Amino acid sequence: MQGDFQNGFKCADFDALLAEAIDGALTGTQLMRFDAHRESCAQCSVLFAEAKAGHDWLETLPEVEPPVNLVKLILAATQETVRAETDARHARQSWPERMRELVSLKLRPAFASIAQPRFAMSFGMAFFSVTLMLNVTGFRLTNLRHMDLRPSSVVRSYYETTGRLVKYYQNIRFVYEIETRVRELKRAATPEEKPSGTDKPQERKEQNRGNDREKNYQNYSREDSTPYLAQMSNGVQDELAAMRRCS
Amino acid sequence: MDDAQVVAALVRRCVAGDATAWEDIVRRLNRRIFNICYRCTGSGDDAQDLTQEVFIKIYRTLDSFDVEKGSFMTWVTTVTRNLLVDHFRKTKQDRVTDSLDNTGSEDEDMLPLSEQLADSGPAPDTRVHRRETQEMVQKALQKLSPELREAVILRDLQDMDYKDIALSLKVPEGTVKSRINRGRVELARLLSRTYRQVM
Repeated sequence: MQGDFQNGFKCADFDALLAEAIDGALTGTQLMRFDAHRESCAQCSVLFAEAKAGHDWLETLPEVEPPVNLVKLILAATQETVRAETDARHARQSWPERMRELVSLKLRPAFASIAQPRFAMSFGMAFFSVTLMLNVTGFRLTNLRHMDLRPSSVVRSYYETTGRLVKYYQNIRFVYEIETRVRELKRAATPEEKPSGTDKPQERKEQNRGNDREKNYQNYSREDSTPYLAQMSNGVQDELAAMRRCS
Repeated sequence: MDDAQVVAALVRRCVAGDATAWEDIVRRLNRRIFNICYRCTGSGDDAQDLTQEVFIKIYRTLDSFDVEKGSFMTWVTTVTRNLLVDHFRKTKQDRVTDSLDNTGSEDEDMLPLSEQLADSGPAPDTRVHRRETQEMVQKALQKLSPELREAVILRDLQDMDYKDIALSLKVPEGTVKSRINRGRVELARLLSRTYRQVM
């Protein structure tokens, strides 16, 4: 090539600066060396002319006017896409996910005020209480099925739980009642010792013990079966009176 | 507040859920994107479809755009360019010209374009003639390979600087300059041949 090494400026250097030269970005010494090489190198001169012509041709192309309704079409297309994506996402989501999303969207502002560390202990205690209550009533979360949430199932569960509670309460009352009756029969079956002058202090002690026992019995039966105890006490008194008459 | 800052503010508002901001972005950018698509595809219908696709893509991925990392226009151009590449793959629009070495005869290549176009006379002054010339240039542009075409379109029609073009096309700046040179030269050769046939 003719101008390969002229002024140390090679054709490769010319090629590297060609785009900038056509864009008018070259100045000073660089431009002078570029022009000098172009004048001395036939190939680079042709290359420059062609590149300049191509650039000039492209300059003749005006900016195209987009269709009038393009903006409306774009806005409609983006809205439609967003809606379709939302629908598709909802279709893929299970109902707990949907609920979670709904809750996160609607209740986030409300939860933001209470989602603070100082409420953590309160929430913990509430959770503990609820869990304890559920355990006592025999409720197990793991046994929960979607079938259990039908209204008929809920009503049935309510009656079953109520029945269980009533049965439990009555069982306890029956046990206390039996225990009380057995104790009183034992006490009634014990022969009554006749009072004597020498045994007075001992008798007083026994009486005190008896009073204590009665107190204990009363304490045991105070909660549930006070009316029954009262009735039984009357019965026992009658039995005692009858036994005395017989003796 | 320059244009880039205004667009960046609009993007932030749009990400925050402001629908009017998105409309502003569409109004600002639709002309530019449509022009890039039109010049690359040469079809108004394809350009319209592609412009819509570009905006849908932008809308979906707007969250991923980092205002601090780069210009929004460069990012939009990258999205447009990627969709255009997909479009070319779908339509199997192979490049017609391959390299500068195998186009035209040796004599033809050696002639400077100024001499080749010397017979063309003065620039077309009538509207029809101008439109014909524009159609001819557009057709020649379509014959360029996609790599050369996108480079010259972004530089000469969209007036982007080399750095932004390099970022959009994900190639070094030197490659961008080389593609622009080759694209311009290739276009000139194609047009000189066409022009001689017409004449």
